[in-house]
Amino acid sequence: MPNILWPGHRDVPIGDTSLAALLAGTELPPGPAPELRPLAEALAELRAQPASDELEGEAKTLAAFRNQFGVPRMAHRPPARTPPPRRRLLPVKAAAAATVLSLGGIATAAYAGALPATVQRLAHHIIGAPAPGTQPALRPSPARLATTGDPAYGLCTAWAHAKTHGTAEQSAVAFSKLATAAGGAANVTTYCATAAPPGTPASHMPHPVPAPHSTGRPSGFPTPHGSGKPSGLPTPHGSEGPTVHPTPHSTGKPSGLPTPRSSGH
Amino acid sequence: MIGAEFESVLAAAQEGSEAAFSRLWRDGNPALLRYLRVTAPQAAEDVAAETWLQVVRGLAGFCGDEHGWRAWLFTTARRRAIDEARRRSRRPAKALEETLPDRLPTAPDTADLALEHIDTRSALSLVAQLPPHQAEVILLRVVAGLDNEMVAQMLGRSPGAVRVAAHRGLRAMAGILAEADVTL
Repeated sequence: MPNILWPGHRDVPIGDTSLAALLAGTELPPGPAPELRPLAEALAELRAQPASDELEGEAKTLAAFRNQFGVPRMAHRPPARTPPPRRRLLPVKAAAAATVLSLGGIATAAYAGALPATVQRLAHHIIGAPAPGTQPALRPSPARLATTGDPAYGLCTAWAHAKTHGTAEQSAVAFSKLATAAGGAANVTTYCATAAPPGTPASHMPHPVPAPHSTGRPSGFPTPHGSGKPSGLPTPHGSEGPTVHPTPHSTGKPSGLPTPRSSGH
Repeated sequence: MIGAEFESVLAAAQEGSEAAFSRLWRDGNPALLRYLRVTAPQAAEDVAAETWLQVVRGLAGFCGDEHGWRAWLFTTARRRAIDEARRRSRRPAKALEETLPDRLPTAPDTADLALEHIDTRSALSLVAQLPPHQAEVILLRVVAGLDNEMVAQMLGRSPGAVRVAAHRGLRAMAGILAEADVTL
């Protein structure tokens, strides 16, 4: 019989049952089986075991797999979720900045509100120093108390405090300011002997002691202990602080028929 | 096909098990190459490799059974093959001698078909002689192991049209084999 679908070739009719069997790779029904056996054999070859050249290239794909999923690990262990590096580094950077700011005089200046605005803002976020443009939230100290009374008392107290608790440099700075206010190093003893404590009339008013932050500089010797360390843990600053919520790493979605998981897993 | 273990193999691969993914690859790549050697004969290996790269990227988000997995794999391959065909159509045609002979679709050799044993290569050559749509339907049904509805969805045809294409394709193949007087 001529083949109208495939001119030049014989037409071999295929019934529905035979068609289903051929497509499914199952046994042909009895009847026209002999005619269809070559076709069944050819279709079986299409499903045959892989040839060696069909398994080449696995290494390349596995390399991509390792690159996607990380180093080989035991099966059934949940893959490590790697947050975007930028987000993971944030707390590290903040901790490093806090460490740096906690060391030396920078923290001192930060708690005094004496840093440039941008740096002060950073210190405000990281170690809880006062925000730029606000009064420093210092604990009561001799120096701070002095600002409410005779400036001479404050300078003298600050120097005395620096001598016992501060560094040599801090002591020298305090003494220099005191000597300037007293009109010379020789006058310091007399100057301090007559300094009025807070709540009493100032004996040396007016003395040119700048008001706190009037120039953006520390007034006198601002830290209570001269250690340069904050007195407590940095205060959390709510939404102003860096909040890091690692999110599951998106791996893309398959583009085919199956429904992809919306959030991976 | 992997069968009953497929779900656990897929889960392990999605959790990063290289051995599990290797099993998926070794199960799927031969069928993928056979499909592409007919539909993208000049770039079958390249398209297969690109397909797997795309599958790796989307693997963690895949959800489905083994038939769904196969449908995704072959849908991805089909799209890559179409992209490859478009890319090639924009390039100047290669001289015939520049094309590797073993990548050219070959006509079924009567002498080959007359052998008592038909191998995979000659069977693919036989399918390659069909009109493209019939050839693709046969490959997706037989090689990829997809059912009629999945193939219809993948090709954007009705299930009836796919069934007719499969029927006509198989009749044509049977006719060619009968003409070649292949008797087993």
